[in-house]
Amino acid sequence: MPESIPLTWEEVARVYGRKIYNFAYRLTGNSDDAADLVQEVLLRVRKGLASYQPGSFEGWLWRITRNAFLDDVRRHNRRPTAPLPEEVDRWDLASSPAADIEYSRISIGDDVQKALLELPFEFREAVVLCDIVGLSYEEIARAVAVPVGTVRSRIHRGRKLLRESLT
Amino acid sequence: MNHPGELISAYLDGELSRPEIAQLLAHLDGCGRCAAELQEVQTVRSAVRSLPLLEMPAGLIPEADADVVPLHRNKGFLVGAAAAVVALVIAIAALVTPAAGTVSLEELNSRYGARASLDPAFGPAKVVVPDLAELLE
Repeated sequence: MPESIPLTWEEVARVYGRKIYNFAYRLTGNSDDAADLVQEVLLRVRKGLASYQPGSFEGWLWRITRNAFLDDVRRHNRRPTAPLPEEVDRWDLASSPAADIEYSRISIGDDVQKALLELPFEFREAVVLCDIVGLSYEEIARAVAVPVGTVRSRIHRGRKLLRESLT
Repeated sequence: MNHPGELISAYLDGELSRPEIAQLLAHLDGCGRCAAELQEVQTVRSAVRSLPLLEMPAGLIPEADADVVPLHRNKGFLVGAAAAVVALVIAIAALVTPAAGTVSLEELNSRYGARASLDPAFGPAKVVVPDLAELLE
């Protein structure tokens, strides 16, 4: 993953636009929401690049993407449909604004996509960032603002739930 | 037995340290349950990773298409003109190519030749070919 900052937001759009779109699509199963998110994220990147401090660009970008996604969820006041399983630790719930937020719309018939949409948000987000976007656990931890151990746990539990859902 | 479940996904993702890998592999040797879990998780991981990378809707971010050279207006005109010429050639070919249910010129001549010779108003058929330059303006 490149750690240096792209020169312009156009370059961010060119390099990351499709990944952002796929992230949003796999999280929502909805192409309109995904398209809206891409535009919102690029708008925020455009505003934020001037004050960007060199560091983990991936972490910065995906934090923006995640926040834009969650803001959209809040704005549309979507109701939770798949609460977190009981074994999820309370620290996670307290630290994340998305713990009780879920998308309920399923717009494609694909089994894997459908199973993804049935996952609790945190697990789905971790799996998508890992397997669709291709981030490392460290990068996911920065983007989501949780310890790497939590990322590890969410990805594994998410995959186990997917397995149950697909069999 | 303490099953190191979460190490399984991290192992598949290349996120384990050497000692953790050694710990997991040693455990897998003697634990059928975790070995089966490894297989299952690997299958799911592959399934998610094999989801197609979708294209963005066309025109969503013009900046993302920066490496696609846009057609200049003049180039666009040339493409349009070329398309018009091709369409014209196809139209003319359709007129002169005999097809099922059409009448050949010879047949037409034998059918109406006598009338044409008697009727001065009955002139030869004309095919009007439009002016190419006018079409392309």
